[in-house]
Amino acid sequence: MSSSLQIESWYAWSAAPVSCAGDERHDIASLSDLEPLPPLLRRRLDQAGRATCQILRRLDPEAACPIVHASRHGNTSLTWGLLTELNDGNPLSPGRFSMSVHNAVLGLHAIARDHRQPLQALAACGDELDALFDEALGYLAEGYPAVIAVFSESALPEAYQGLTSHPAAPCVVGMRLAASPDQSIADRPFAHTLSLLFGDNAQPTPLDVIAWLNDLDDQQRLERGNACQ
Amino acid sequence: MSETLDLSLELKRMIIKTLELEDITPEDIDPEAPLFEEGLGLDSIDALEIGLMLQKHYGIKLDSEAEETRQHFASLNALKALVEAHRDH
Repeated sequence: MSSSLQIESWYAWSAAPVSCAGDERHDIASLSDLEPLPPLLRRRLDQAGRATCQILRRLDPEAACPIVHASRHGNTSLTWGLLTELNDGNPLSPGRFSMSVHNAVLGLHAIARDHRQPLQALAACGDELDALFDEALGYLAEGYPAVIAVFSESALPEAYQGLTSHPAAPCVVGMRLAASPDQSIADRPFAHTLSLLFGDNAQPTPLDVIAWLNDLDDQQRLERGNACQ
Repeated sequence: MSETLDLSLELKRMIIKTLELEDITPEDIDPEAPLFEEGLGLDSIDALEIGLMLQKHYGIKLDSEAEETRQHFASLNALKALVEAHRDH
């Protein structure tokens, strides 16, 4: 079993006003040929959920790859709203309840795209990138040619702010991963590689991953430039 | 404007708000068209949401398994008839 991964392509989004990707071609908000999400699907998603679905469509247009979606916190605005309703003795909205589960975004994506490959939603207490890479390797070992790994964080309600680490703005990054015998971006065990990239005990958020992917692109451009000289 | 027209508009607005139908206006909802699948294109979770809406605003409790519930949810006009019948009681 190969224990190395390469990134075939990646896309990102953040609610920050400036492009989150060094190269705008990676920024899902900068793409002019983006097909809009069906309105009845879009209404159930927050900003990060919409961006996640757009990124998934872009990375896997044929709906042929397994997808692993990681989010440390999920849509906490929804769950906080439901808890508040319960506390006030009000009945819960079935629609909001259905969207408060961790695999809700992937479920909607699968319905909209008729996606019938494996889907997995996970949270890993800050080790989401490590978990995404591990799960991706598992699917690649089963023989899938590529796996889509997407990592998102939604807006954090005010009630939770300061109580957990969270990127300041909603953000999403998605990567199309394949096995790589020679040009690996990360090798197992990933914890070691990730501590080299993000520092010891680092818990990279989607924004940190986007910054790393921008750096990787810069390095590759530099290497290509040197090779041409 | 008659009371039934008011109720029709009230139900349309309530459905749009409750189901967060961002791109739909009251004029877009054909009162005779099916609300679910073809027509407006709502799904089973929307049906539960409308059931809750009727309970909260009009005190109407429906049995989700009953065949007549299916008929009450067939179109906006069917929903309106249900609310009117409940008011007359």
